[in-house]
Formats: sequence, C-alpha cells, structure tokens
Amino acid sequence: MAVVARSLNRAGIRPRLRPREMLLLAAAAVALVAGWASLNSYRAGRLELGDLTLLTIYLAAIASVHAAFVITGRRMDQVLLPAVTMLGGLSLLLMERLPQTLAAQSFMGTLLPLAPLQLLWLVLSFALLGTIAIVVRNDGWLRRYKYSWAVLGIAMLLLVFLFGDVIGGQRLTLRIGPLAGQPSELLKVILVVFLAGYLAENRALLTGVSTRIGPIKLPPLPYLLPMVVMWGLALAIVIVQRDLGAALLFFLVFLAMLYVATQRASYVVLGVLLFVAGGLVLYELFPHVRVRVDIWLDPFADPLGAGYQIIRALFAFGRGGVLGTGLGAGLPQVGGTPSIPAIHTDFVFAALAEELGMLGGLAILGLYAVIAERGFRIAATAADDYRALLATGLTLVIVIQAAIIIGGNLRLVPLTGITLPLVSYGGSSLLVNAIVVGMLLALSDRGVEPPPLPGTRRVWLRPLRRAEQA
Amino acid sequence: MDAFTISLWILRIAFVVFIYLFFFFIVRALWRDLRTTVAGAGRALARLVVVASPEGRPQPGASIPLDAVNTIGRDVNNSIIIDDSFASSEHAVLTFRGRAWFVEDRGSTNGTWLNGQRVESYLPLGYGDELQVGQVRMRLERAQV
Repeated sequence: MAVVARSLNRAGIRPRLRPREMLLLAAAAVALVAGWASLNSYRAGRLELGDLTLLTIYLAAIASVHAAFVITGRRMDQVLLPAVTMLGGLSLLLMERLPQTLAAQSFMGTLLPLAPLQLLWLVLSFALLGTIAIVVRNDGWLRRYKYSWAVLGIAMLLLVFLFGDVIGGQRLTLRIGPLAGQPSELLKVILVVFLAGYLAENRALLTGVSTRIGPIKLPPLPYLLPMVVMWGLALAIVIVQRDLGAALLFFLVFLAMLYVATQRASYVVLGVLLFVAGGLVLYELFPHVRVRVDIWLDPFADPLGAGYQIIRALFAFGRGGVLGTGLGAGLPQVGGTPSIPAIHTDFVFAALAEELGMLGGLAILGLYAVIAERGFRIAATAADDYRALLATGLTLVIVIQAAIIIGGNLRLVPLTGITLPLVSYGGSSLLVNAIVVGMLLALSDRGVEPPPLPGTRRVWLRPLRRAEQA
Repeated sequence: MDAFTISLWILRIAFVVFIYLFFFFIVRALWRDLRTTVAGAGRALARLVVVASPEGRPQPGASIPLDAVNTIGRDVNNSIIIDDSFASSEHAVLTFRGRAWFVEDRGSTNGTWLNGQRVESYLPLGYGDELQVGQVRMRLERAQV
C-alpha cells in the first residue's frame, strides 16, 4: 500500500476522496436496484431481484470512473457524474423493459439485443467521459483552432449531404465500413467550440453599436456575418438533411450563447424574428415541415397516419397518471409492435412517464435542471470568457435538446426527431453527450492550467476598432 | 388484493421514493454549495458604525463596510478616511485575522483608543467594542445579512 502511494506521489498524483460524489452514487445505485427489482418482480409474478448482470456491469463501470477520479485526485464537480449516472441507469432500465427486438445489432460475432447493446454504449460513453475529464488539462487545442473546427464540422455535414444513408426520410447517418454514426450529433459540440471562441474574441465588438435601423441597434455589420451564416446553416440542415430537431437545437444554442456573451436582448429579438420568418417560408415550401406543424396543431386530424405517434404518446402520458403504471406494467407494445414507433429513441420520455408517472417524469426534468445548474455554475466560476462561454454552450446543448424533445413528446412544441440526451437508445448520441459532460467536468477542475494570456493577434481588426473610437 | 400485488405496489412506490431521495441529496448538495458561495462572495466582513463625529467627516451614524485589512487615518489613501483635526494621516489599522479583529496603532499623535483604553501596540476587539480615532468614536458591528 505504502509502496503504491509513494510511486503515485512520484508521478505527481495525489489521490483525493470525493465523498459527496460517493454518497450520491450510492443513492443512485440503491434507486436503480429498486427499479430493477420492481421490473423483474412484475415480470416474474413474484418478488425477486432478477438477473442483475447488466445493472452490475453498469454500476461497476460508474464505480471505476469514480475510482479513477479519486486516484488521480481531480478537484472536479461532484454532482454531475451522479446526475448522469441516474439518467443512464433509467435508460438501461427502460431498454431492458422494452421489447428486445427494437434494435439488435451484431457486435464481434454475437448478436446483442436492445438492453446489452445500450449497456455497451453506456459503458463506452462513461469510459470516454472519464478519460476526457481526466486527460484534458488545457483548452489551447480548442481555443486556438476554432476556425479549423468549424471547417471540420461543415466538412462532416457535407459528407453526410453527399454520402449519407437515408433512414426514415432523414439523411443523417454516415456509414464508414462497419461503423455507422450520426455526425450531426458531434456537430453540435463543434458548433459550441467555434461559437465560444468567436464570441469570446469579438465580444467587445459585438456589444458596440455602429449601425442603427430605427430603434434596433446593431454591431458593426461584418461581425453579424457569422450569425447569418449560422442561420443559413440551420436552414440548410432542415432542407437537405430534413433534420428539424438539429436545426432548432443549433439555432437556439447559438442565440442563447450570443445573448450570454453580449447581454443584448436586441439580438435575441432579431434572431427570433429571423427564425419566425424562416419558419414561415419553410412551412410554405417544404411538405415535411408542414406535416410536422400540422400534426402538432391537430394530431387527431390523421390519427392513424401522421398523428399516430403523438396520439399514442399522449395516451401513454394519460395512462401513467401521477404515480405511473409501474415498470413493466405499461403498454409499450400491442401484440408484437411497439405502441409508439421510435419509443426507444424519440419517445423515451413518454415511455418513462407512462411507467413512472408524472413523478418520475418530473424527476427526469429535475435531473436536467441539476445538470443546467452545475453547468452554469462551472461557467460562472470559469477563469476567463472563453471557458465561461464554452461551459455555457456545452450545458445548453444538453438542456435545450432535452427541452425540445420532451416538449415534442408532450405536444408543447412541434415534434422533432432528436434524442433525449443520455437516456435515448443510440451510440452516437450517448458518446457525444458523454464528451459534453466530460468536458464540463474537465472545465470544473480547479487544478487545470490557467488560460493563456490574451494575445494581440487578429491585426486586421485594428482599423475598424480605431474608426469606431473616432 | 393479494399480498403480491401489494408488495409489488410498495416496490414500485419505493423506486420513485428512492429516485426522489437521490434527488433530495443532490439538491441539498447544491444548496450548501450555493450558500457557501453567497456567504463568501464580495460581502463585507463587518462594519464600523460612527457613534460620534464632532466635525462631521465621517457623518455620525454612517456605516462603513470592512475588508480584511482597513487602514484608518486622515490621508486620502486610507481605506477609512477620518477627516478630523485630532487624527493623524496614518493613524491606525484594523485587520481581520483568523477569526478575530485586531486594531493596531501606527504611531499616531493622539493615540487610538479601544473602549477608553489606549492601544499601545495592538489589541483584539470584538463586536460591540468602541474605537476612538481623534474625536471620532466608532463601534464594530456584524455585517448586515
């Protein structure tokens, strides 16, 4: 023991206990075991715990991430990991409960049904989360190359436009050899990285006023260009990729970050106006947008066709009531087919709210609220503007995405096909959200390198600045 | 209702209860975190309330927020400026060390007085104690929450 401690010390590693995280993880584990017992007792018709293998593997993976944090002695946020653990655990429970044939994929010769497959993705995600949280010690590689990242993101988007597979009317999936993924998931992180860099650098300019259109004050017009590009990008995603959810997410994250960076409500007003204008045009021009809006306004107009999903989801919420039907007792399938199509991806919230009731649904909302609180707090205590904006953007990506899809499930906003972060089935989504949480954890570390001193690059901006002062 | 249905119901409620218990722990952690931050952020450690000031600078009844180190005197570079004809330009210093306040005389002409006793080098003082610099008398009080 002493030998191990000494060799760790020599490597500059000082273990540090994380008691709060440990307590919270234990509480989450207890809740998940109770849920597992509840599900298996209902299925078996007698009280029993059932086969705990999957849950044990999941909890062991979490415990090893916790142990890695302790051993490396990172002084990171202690609440994020438990909150994410709970969401992932609920996901595992739900996937175990749903019909296993929803998504089966063969992996290294063995055919994995839904729950083990999701477990595999969860374990990989948490490994990635832990690795990023521990390994990332400075942000220069993100800060310095923001335009390179933006180019990479757009290149990925173009690849999907050109070579993507069309699944369910959406061109989202890119297949390289045996690997298939949805690059738009990763694109949202790249977007945040770029925006944080751009806004942190040009913040002072963006808050300055040089142009006025009536009562609306605008910054120097060249600096509005990236925003127009963003708006165009969102529209392009809707038109070419038919991915309304991603477009909405990108645009909202972008507007929120712009507001955080500049504290100017006029940008938000302008953005919303642009959004409404764009929305109206898209509604007139593109049938797939029109269908989405129409079934949102009146799903019962076509109850067996376009409105089917939404109506089934509303029934599920109604069946759940306050306390829920209990795990296993809901109706996610009638006969062999799931009652809500895409119940394991877009409609996980409806499925969980049916079986855990309004109370369970509120708890899930609360978990996202906790992630938001932690994320914004990390942003508020960040060392400089760039890190603050990065943390804000990363938090917003998770929270806004959750809000969009939960709102869609509840018919509060038009339904758009995106995943519920950290709960829905799907490798790309899980891995990317794990990257986001891992980066938030890395940003919250009080031992990371301080940000670089503000340099005097971007000389070509000087004349403009001088003209403004004159 | 047979025993199994009831126990199943209990199990299912227990699951929700455990989720909320977990949630309660989280919210408690957040709340504590928030409270310590609020307590530590930019709030004055204590204040000095001016009891008597014949020349009116500072005004009697004024409340002066205190930092960890406060220099007192007539010079404008002091953090607490006492513009009184009997105060020296660098009169005294009031510091918060560990858990207690200390006042130290900086070689003033007319001396610094704590509860009527002259401060020779330095003295600890507590809340409610009265400090006299020149003709100005001030009382140390807790910061208002």
